[in-house]
Amino acid sequence: MLEVQHISKSFFRKTALEDVSMTVREGEIFGLLGPNGAGKTTLIRIINKIIDADRGVVRINGDLMTQKHLSMVGYLPEERGLYKSMTVEDHALFLGQLRGLSKRDVKMQLDYWLEKFTIGDWKKKRIEELSKGMAQKVQFICTVLHEPKILILDEPLSGFDPVNVELIKQELIEMRAKGKLIILSTHNMKSVEEICDRVALIDHSKKILEGTVSEIRESRKTGEIAIKFRGSMIAFVNALWTNFELVDKEILADDRFIARLKTRGETNFDDLLRAMMGQVRIEAVWEVLPSMQDIFIDLVTPKTEGTHA
Amino acid sequence: MRNSWLVALRELKERLGSRSFVGMMIAGPLLILVLIYFLFAFGGEGQQKWNVLIADPTGIMDKKILISADPDVTYSFANGYIEMNEFRDAKQFREFDALVEVNEKILSNKLSFVFYRENPSMRMQTKIRYQVERRIEEVMVAQFTDLSIRDFRKVKQPLNMAFRNVYDPMDEASDLRGWVGLFYGALIFSFIFLFGMTILRSVTREKSNRIVEVLLATVHPNQLMIGKIVGIGIAAFIQFVVWMLLVAIGLVLMRSYVFPDLFDPSHVVAMGEHASDHFFAATEYNQFVDLVYERIRFGTMTFYFILFFVLGYLFYGALFAAIGATSGSESDGQQFVLPLIFLLCFALFAGYYSLQNPESGLAMLFHYLPFTSPVVVMVKLSLGYAPGHAYEIWMSLILLLLSAAGVLVLAGRLYRNGILQFGHRLRFGMLLRWLKRM
Repeated sequence: MLEVQHISKSFFRKTALEDVSMTVREGEIFGLLGPNGAGKTTLIRIINKIIDADRGVVRINGDLMTQKHLSMVGYLPEERGLYKSMTVEDHALFLGQLRGLSKRDVKMQLDYWLEKFTIGDWKKKRIEELSKGMAQKVQFICTVLHEPKILILDEPLSGFDPVNVELIKQELIEMRAKGKLIILSTHNMKSVEEICDRVALIDHSKKILEGTVSEIRESRKTGEIAIKFRGSMIAFVNALWTNFELVDKEILADDRFIARLKTRGETNFDDLLRAMMGQVRIEAVWEVLPSMQDIFIDLVTPKTEGTHA
Repeated sequence: MRNSWLVALRELKERLGSRSFVGMMIAGPLLILVLIYFLFAFGGEGQQKWNVLIADPTGIMDKKILISADPDVTYSFANGYIEMNEFRDAKQFREFDALVEVNEKILSNKLSFVFYRENPSMRMQTKIRYQVERRIEEVMVAQFTDLSIRDFRKVKQPLNMAFRNVYDPMDEASDLRGWVGLFYGALIFSFIFLFGMTILRSVTREKSNRIVEVLLATVHPNQLMIGKIVGIGIAAFIQFVVWMLLVAIGLVLMRSYVFPDLFDPSHVVAMGEHASDHFFAATEYNQFVDLVYERIRFGTMTFYFILFFVLGYLFYGALFAAIGATSGSESDGQQFVLPLIFLLCFALFAGYYSLQNPESGLAMLFHYLPFTSPVVVMVKLSLGYAPGHAYEIWMSLILLLLSAAGVLVLAGRLYRNGILQFGHRLRFGMLLRWLKRM
């Protein structure tokens, strides 16, 4: 278990983090969210002992985190680089040995990962010969080479094509299943919804939200209902009482739509179904939960006076 | 420690694998050899025919010098003492290019002064030295021993012939040994500059391609800095050793194939004796050979060269690393390296100044200042310390060691605080703030 307790950090007069606490458990993918400049990278650097916090501590399984714990951590920073003149193998050897592996173990692990990603022939290639996406893969491999118990990944999916995004996501899911503790900092909210168990949102150096993805979405729902139907849009609108408000519609075909409605007063789901019976052919009805993207935008967009959220 | 070593090995491997490093490994010694070649070629030119006056008041040489005349040198003899000023100014001596002093003490102290008006070429110096020496030997063999002249040469002490310019009789400026020291010092600083810039580039490149953040998640910034300095330092040392080897091989080849006449006595003078005798004598008395193989204490010089090179490199290398780490961009770093370049140039000036004024107070100050001591000590070491003053080298060395340690600590602080700062414009105030932060 990794505990971040009351971390604060300032750079000269600028506050980067203010009393941030969170707990991440083994077998969990924890999404660290926030707009640019919110303090995520600073927090990640503090966890990695790259910089020291002004106040607060980081604990691993109850112990204060020190330099010796770093071999348990695999860190993939957002702006990551490789030594261009080195070969993939030399690079892996250098970083793997820095993290405590023997040459033999590095070579074994490298072979395993290269085979897994079906890129065995890259081993002797120089980094400068690789495309950006290929280099990203090498960076990912170098991060997980020493089988760290804790993985801290800052935008791990950026630079990948959709096929490789899925590949990396599957790897992360597999690692979670093996009990790894994964902190994922990303702006890709779709991925957050898909693979993160819990998230924390940092904005203006403070943590403003923490919880499971489903809890957060549930807590931020606005009572919207979506209905997918076949029939006439006019008939559908006529059938709505004043107790329902049409918020949005999506045209799927000439006679197929998805409409998003808001309930008014005491009306409920059953009332809607009763009103629509015989007017249109209902294909599906569901309660609309806000996406993580919507929640993110809603929470981090500055509110001006007189503007309704 | 292990991490620093791994970083050092990576740096070393990168340097050894780079074309520029291999290129410099060959181009550097070639350049030195070309310079030496020109020195030889240039030194061999100048006035071809010399008119030499030998002042021999006690008649030791009996107005004789050569069995067969040398077409390039004409000797005349004077019976009285001739002062250097008199020789320089008096009308009757204007026709002579050089005055050789052979007084009564020469047989015991083996010392003779040669005053010249125009710098004699190395070849001419060798001729005069050789011809006077031969005659002195004949006199000594005849007067003091029963040995043959050949056996005598095997056991005798060489004649110390001091060449002095009549217009610069103290002759401090042209002491070759001092110049050799300055060359050593300049070599130290060339390597420091060359490999200091390599440290700077390596740090700024790691910063700009952001691999540094990956490394810092495993390696402490100070370990990273030390590893980098050590790795590049080892590369510098390897390059130095290769340079020395190649220069040594080049000098041997040059002696054998390019300038055989400088070393072969049969080209210097014809005395009608055995060639082996001539060769023995010429290699012993040729000024260059004498300088390289007799007068420079290579063992001592190299020992101190290594010590001062290592400490000087650590002193300046840490500063180069700190500048690289604190700069916001590569061009920013190059701008801030200018003061360091001035400091390096100043150290070379200090070496030159110490060569000209070895006993001055300022030279003593430069001898102890950590940023000038590597070059000044080399100069003083080659000129020679007064008996009982060798401790001054160690004092200078200890001061440099302590300064290098201090600079490493301060540079470590700058490195740690600056390495993850990107895109800023480096200001002096910023450096001070980072220095204060632990």
